[in-house]
Amino acid sequence: MTTAPLFDCDHAAFMQSGISLHAASCGEDKLPSAARALGCRISDDRLNVRVLVSKTQAAQLLADVGRSGALAVVFSRPSTHRTLQLKGRDAVCVAADADDLRVAARYREAFVAETSALGHPAHLIDTIFDIPQDDIVVLSFTPDAAFSQTPGPQAGQTLQAQS
Amino acid sequence: MTLKIDAIRACFEGVIPGTMATADLDGTPNISYLSQVQYVDSEHVALTYQFFNKTRQNLLVNPHALLTVIDPFTAAQYRLRLQFLRTETSGPLFESMKAKLAGIASHVGMSHVFQLRGADVFRVNALEQVPGRTLPAPPPRRNLLSALRSASDRIRPAGDLGQLLGAALDCLATEFDIGHAMALLYDDAGQRLYTLASRGYADSGVGSEIALGDGVIGVAARERTPIRISHMTSEYAYGRAIRDSAAGGPGALELAIPLPGLAESRSQMAVPMIAGARLVGVLYVESPHDLRFSYDDEDALVALAAQLALAIRLVQADAVEDAPAADSAPAQPAGEPVAVRHYPENDSVFLDDDYLIKGVAGSIFSVLVHDCVEKGRTEFSNRELRLDPRIRLPDISDNLDARLLLLSRRLADRSACVRIEKTGRGRFKLCLARPLRLADP
Repeated sequence: MTTAPLFDCDHAAFMQSGISLHAASCGEDKLPSAARALGCRISDDRLNVRVLVSKTQAAQLLADVGRSGALAVVFSRPSTHRTLQLKGRDAVCVAADADDLRVAARYREAFVAETSALGHPAHLIDTIFDIPQDDIVVLSFTPDAAFSQTPGPQAGQTLQAQS
Repeated sequence: MTLKIDAIRACFEGVIPGTMATADLDGTPNISYLSQVQYVDSEHVALTYQFFNKTRQNLLVNPHALLTVIDPFTAAQYRLRLQFLRTETSGPLFESMKAKLAGIASHVGMSHVFQLRGADVFRVNALEQVPGRTLPAPPPRRNLLSALRSASDRIRPAGDLGQLLGAALDCLATEFDIGHAMALLYDDAGQRLYTLASRGYADSGVGSEIALGDGVIGVAARERTPIRISHMTSEYAYGRAIRDSAAGGPGALELAIPLPGLAESRSQMAVPMIAGARLVGVLYVESPHDLRFSYDDEDALVALAAQLALAIRLVQADAVEDAPAADSAPAQPAGEPVAVRHYPENDSVFLDDDYLIKGVAGSIFSVLVHDCVEKGRTEFSNRELRLDPRIRLPDISDNLDARLLLLSRRLADRSACVRIEKTGRGRFKLCLARPLRLADP
């Protein structure tokens, strides 16, 4: 059982900002599944991570998580390529509460702003996140591994957290 | 109808990064971002292998992967179930991906980080669209099939090499809206390409040369494959002041004709012209705009280049010759004679002190001037030159016509006191504005 968080407050702020988010799992037949995530919430003690996904788009991912609990989530800021990945084995799907939905709305705005600055049309990016509220569910998990994935020689190393 | 990946190639231009999910044998998933997806054919894609990362470790034990890409115009997301087949570390696919990656890396400021180690080839086992809202696709710039057909119709009647290349470059402008283009022919013996026609540049650059393997054009020629770059990159840029290192000739340093080209090229594509198994040359286009040339543009130009290659071979083989024109007494121009110097070691030719041309074209010019000065001849036929032992044609089938065209265009570019004028099929004459004098090197 993990007792100390694998990442620091700076990492937590990064993961909850308007950056690119994707989640993956794996089926019984070793076939990976994946879906774009719609926002992220991290508990104050940094031991629990909630990732929002579309129930419709992530149907296979949710089925795989339901079977194995295995989850990988990648976080990347397009403007700097700073990237990290969390993994967990106890992921469960739970209903989204009002705070989760507020996170999804804030995230959508922040990500459109982040990508607009890089020249991506705002209406195009906004379309990606045009998901009905009742379609949003949460994958909640305890990270048991964290990696730096920024392209370069350090990619794949265990995340160094400042306490 | 099943969706095929050739219908979603806009997703593979690297505008919005795709993601790749893999898993190890314990079923632990991994997900990472991709800088590039390369369409191979309707059942295969290739991804860049840059680092020995977790994705790669997983693929080596479990070949199954899930690729997610997004259409940069409609926001439609697609998932491709992939199966890893092999890694290629050289050859056409590797080189075209390497060039494209150089453009992407420079565009996103990662030139020092993104280095291609291999092209990982995957079979696409399934393709599905992710449910979700999408935008209507923007109307295409134009129907490229219709543009290709028009270009094909306009090229067909061309009777000689000059007309052929002219028609092709004109079609690029009018049918495809591509305003900057060059046609280069391949000199098999010298392993070089030489520019024979261009559009959209202040200087024609006719006579400029590129070595096999040098930059976009040289790599396309060496690998016999199209090379397409969608962003500006210094890695494949041509120095605009190439110095010819050819030894010999006192003017060796001036023996380079600068390659024409945009100072800030943001999209480049080089398409080899191949007839049968023979490389005839390269069609090169460029644009000051990022992402100007798509997979569809590439397909259209590959088809056009194939037709052009066959047409070039045809006009070269079809050495029809008109009867000689009635002898007209050559006009003897007045004025100060121009000194023509020919250096046999590399066949470079100078008019007074200005470099004109070298190689086969230089050798031809020297013979023409010699016969003009010594025998008073100004009318010539291609056939006699083909058989003239003084001209060292690389091989008989090598196109004399291309060298003559190069020479005549180069004379026109230099506004020289000598012009070459066609007088019929397989015939031409020298037109002098000033008398010529053979000078010792």
